[in-house]
Amino acid sequence: MTRGRKTGWPLWLVLVLLALLHFYVRPRFYGGRGAPDFLLLALLIVSLRSRPGVAALTGFFIGLLTDALTPVRIGAGAFSHTVVAYLAAWGRSVFFPDNVLVNGVVFAAGTFVRNLLLLLALDFSGTSVLNAFAPNTLLQIVTTALAGAVVTLGLRPTKVDLRFEP
Amino acid sequence: MYRAAARPSSRRDTALFAGCVALSLLLLFIPTAWTGAFADSARETALRPVLWLQRRGAEGRTSRARLEAALATRDSAVMAASAAEAAAHENERLRALLDLRSRAPLAFLTAEVLHQPLPTDGRTLLLGVGTGDGAAQFQPVIAAEGLVGVIGRVGPTTSVVTTWAHPEFRASAVTENGEVLGIVAPVAGGDPGLGLLEFRGVAYRDTVPDHSVVVTSGLGGVYPRGLPIGRILGVRREELGWERVYRLIPFVNLGVVGQVLLLHPPEAEAALHRDSLP
Repeated sequence: MTRGRKTGWPLWLVLVLLALLHFYVRPRFYGGRGAPDFLLLALLIVSLRSRPGVAALTGFFIGLLTDALTPVRIGAGAFSHTVVAYLAAWGRSVFFPDNVLVNGVVFAAGTFVRNLLLLLALDFSGTSVLNAFAPNTLLQIVTTALAGAVVTLGLRPTKVDLRFEP
Repeated sequence: MYRAAARPSSRRDTALFAGCVALSLLLLFIPTAWTGAFADSARETALRPVLWLQRRGAEGRTSRARLEAALATRDSAVMAASAAEAAAHENERLRALLDLRSRAPLAFLTAEVLHQPLPTDGRTLLLGVGTGDGAAQFQPVIAAEGLVGVIGRVGPTTSVVTTWAHPEFRASAVTENGEVLGIVAPVAGGDPGLGLLEFRGVAYRDTVPDHSVVVTSGLGGVYPRGLPIGRILGVRREELGWERVYRLIPFVNLGVVGQVLLLHPPEAEAALHRDSLP
């Protein structure tokens, strides 16, 4: 459930905006592999504000969605997104998620771990680890972290409360 | 201000996480035919609106570039057309003298590539055309620079290309001068991030010079002859003195390709039907 609806935007509106950015704005301006992953960003935002179990379930469904869109091997996306979402939700007790810089680092780390697990699920070898450090992949980590920081900053003045508690 | 959870993880959360991971791993080991059918149906139902949106976005990005390219191509075509008619007549006359039938023109269908921001994007590419537009399984897919791959799965409104970077990609190929025949495949155990291919099965007695262009041979009935694949970049390895494997730089950059053509190869189809039993 979300709290603070009187003062801020509801969570679903933020998620719809991120989905629009992912499926319309991103391909409208730059369709390359270094583009920010707004879907992963939405997943991390939800995960940081929900219980680990709910985050894992959300990650599983978002992962299935990405598997359907890039069907190299169904299950790889579901696995990687589930793990990343669970770790993000679990980790919120370790770090302080209200800080923009910390949020940026979490988004960057989440993107890197997702990419690494995705590649390892397809091919469990050292090559996959090397591919996680490919220029396009690193560029995507930076752009996703920056986009996440902008979203966090942009939402802050409106006092959007995105708590998502069962 | 966000409130950190007092108990970061309960037994129920752990069970949910373990269940999701187990289900994901199970999906990884289910045959591709089953999971592929699931992906097809997901794209044609739940994901259809967002894919429609993405197609509009991709078309918006490429429309201006396409107009400029079309104008440039038209200008070049006007110049080329002035000499082409005479050459076509001459070609027809020579074919008639040699008793060769005319080469059937290749029909094609254009499609937008719907890129996804995942590191696996490029091994398969999602296209915004499906059976409703005339796409079919096993159609060769090319870009302006050369071969992209083949249609692996197709639905009513979308299709999935198995590109040259996919581990299962194979194409019968030949050097441009027609002297050396081989099989093109992705680099085995190499770094796909480098985007290289292998030209395998070249007899030890044959030598392919660096920078030679490799094209499809037309054998196998999927790819028509003459589609450019890439350029030779030295010997990658030698197999026990009977085969050389060459490194090949593909012409098409899968990370940036925005628009592709799906070929309907009438010659290949006709050849297949001729071999069929009556």
